[in-house]
Amino acid sequence: MSTLLTLEAATLDVAGQRFGPFSLQVAAGERVAVLGPSGAGKSTLLKLMSGERPPAEGQVLFQRRATAEWPLAALSQHRAVLPQAGDVAFGLQTELVIGLGRVARAHDPHLASVVRDAAGLAHAGHLLGRRFDTLSGGEQARVQLARIFAQLWDTRQGLVLVDEPLAALDPGLQCELLDSLDHYASTRQHALVAILHDINQALAGFDRLLLIRGGGLVADLPATAPALPALEALYGVSLSCFTDAHGALVVAPLRQPRGKVPALALPGEALA
Amino acid sequence: MSAPALWGARAGAGWRASPAFLLVAALLLAGVLAVQAGAVPVAGRDWWALLGPPASATDAPAGLSGGAYVLWHIRLPRAVFAMLVGASMGLAGALTQGLFRNPLADPGLLGVSAGAACAAALTIVLVSGPVLALPQAWRVWTLPVAAFAGALGVCFTLDRVARWITPGSISGLLLTGVALNALAAAVIGLCTYLATDEQLRSLSFWTLGSLAGAQWGLVLLMGALLLAAVWPLRQLVRSLNALALGEAAAAHVGVDVQRLRSRVIVLVAVLAGFSVAWCGMIGFIGLIAPHLVRVWVGGDQHRVLPLSLLMGGLLLLLADTLARTVAIPAEIPVGIFTALLGSPFFLFLLRGARGRIA
Repeated sequence: MSTLLTLEAATLDVAGQRFGPFSLQVAAGERVAVLGPSGAGKSTLLKLMSGERPPAEGQVLFQRRATAEWPLAALSQHRAVLPQAGDVAFGLQTELVIGLGRVARAHDPHLASVVRDAAGLAHAGHLLGRRFDTLSGGEQARVQLARIFAQLWDTRQGLVLVDEPLAALDPGLQCELLDSLDHYASTRQHALVAILHDINQALAGFDRLLLIRGGGLVADLPATAPALPALEALYGVSLSCFTDAHGALVVAPLRQPRGKVPALALPGEALA
Repeated sequence: MSAPALWGARAGAGWRASPAFLLVAALLLAGVLAVQAGAVPVAGRDWWALLGPPASATDAPAGLSGGAYVLWHIRLPRAVFAMLVGASMGLAGALTQGLFRNPLADPGLLGVSAGAACAAALTIVLVSGPVLALPQAWRVWTLPVAAFAGALGVCFTLDRVARWITPGSISGLLLTGVALNALAAAVIGLCTYLATDEQLRSLSFWTLGSLAGAQWGLVLLMGALLLAAVWPLRQLVRSLNALALGEAAAAHVGVDVQRLRSRVIVLVAVLAGFSVAWCGMIGFIGLIAPHLVRVWVGGDQHRVLPLSLLMGGLLLLLADTLARTVAIPAEIPVGIFTALLGSPFFLFLLRGARGRIA
């Protein structure tokens, strides 16, 4: 597989804090999960990967060309980004929001059919014709996902970057959207880089894990059972590990047994 | 985007039901009303004198008399001028709101109009005074150019300062506008203090806002300006829609946000600056027109921009007609009139935005 994205000792300063240096490669068609505690620098890494910010030092190469040298319109036809929370001003129609994924194409004869198909794949087909600002959080997430689908609908070997898209959604919808994302990326050989909070989602649907802590990359390893010690160290928890009926690995953070937590006496109880 | 979609026709509905058609029809009606209303009655034969037989055309328009004279030299240019200025304001308002992703943004509230008036006031007192005597031919242009420069300065200040002090905040933007408005008012006040009697009269015109200066020459200039501003918009509309996603997301889908911002800012400065230069500060049209349009047809800029233009023209024409005729033979400056009607409307909008302002 050919290398799609290369970070060479890339750093970025955000609000006086230096993140990086990050050195890693993403191959075409690869599925990479980015994990780490809050504030570790996951979104910063994504900003570097997407070309939203040029690196302060080092290099970020997309298809062997520095992201800063890509014309925005050309880059947008090979790389899509799903933001964490996307509000849309002015209550646009959902099909317009989805179609905005393809706004950089000067000539786009199949726009209407792409929008319809992308909405269908993101389980948002029934939301067409409604105003975005009247949708629930889950419905908005589907429409935003459909927008990303539309953006790289007819390209191959692109890069899809996803920033915690599922955090606020119910488990059923999370599975549904992860499945469509997976299907979408694999049929087009798009590489998928996703920031996730759920270790099980990362283990089940991704090839590689990037572990981020304290503004730097601490581990880059395959998403298999041997990664568990590194994950325990990353979050500072112990993980208990099972194999489910289908042979897939399932982990759960282990809480301290109740007896071991030093009980604090309430002032009233102490008097009694 | 096909032409009917651009002008707001709903798929399936007939062209008669399209908002653009309804607005144009309303504009024509309001135009006739505006021309008929006033102290001097205009009769059918006065129209005939303008349009009709060559007997009067040989010495027209100079030889017109009575109602026909009022019609050609006063009422008609004023009505058309009101439409064009209102259209500029409606469009400037829609662009400002699209640029700042905020339905409360308006060139008046953000201080753009005040900046233009401030630059114009400085020009009146300093340049056209005895300090710097300019040739008469230049004087026609000094005020508009100064007002444009003032508007442009405020626009760029807003764009830079509001993002720097209070990034991403709606109230931060409006508060920066408050500060700029106060600064402009102070400078205008200073100019008033320094002005001679003659300058004072033309100064009060700027701060009150009036269409009384309407004449065919200005109508032509304003029309040409509006055309020049509308032309580049055709390429910006799609990108402006993408800006509704937020700046980062707009960049991700391939929009050069920085370039878009500076182009929209220049357009707003041209539209707001020249309107102020020729009519003084007339507020709230740029706030109300796009708002009404969005309630009507939704937020797609393909429809909001052209319809805001029409709606702005309609609103200012109606406001000016009322301002002219409420207290015949006296005339209320239309700027006072739009502020009287617009301020409660702004409060009403604020109430609707309750909870979303941060």
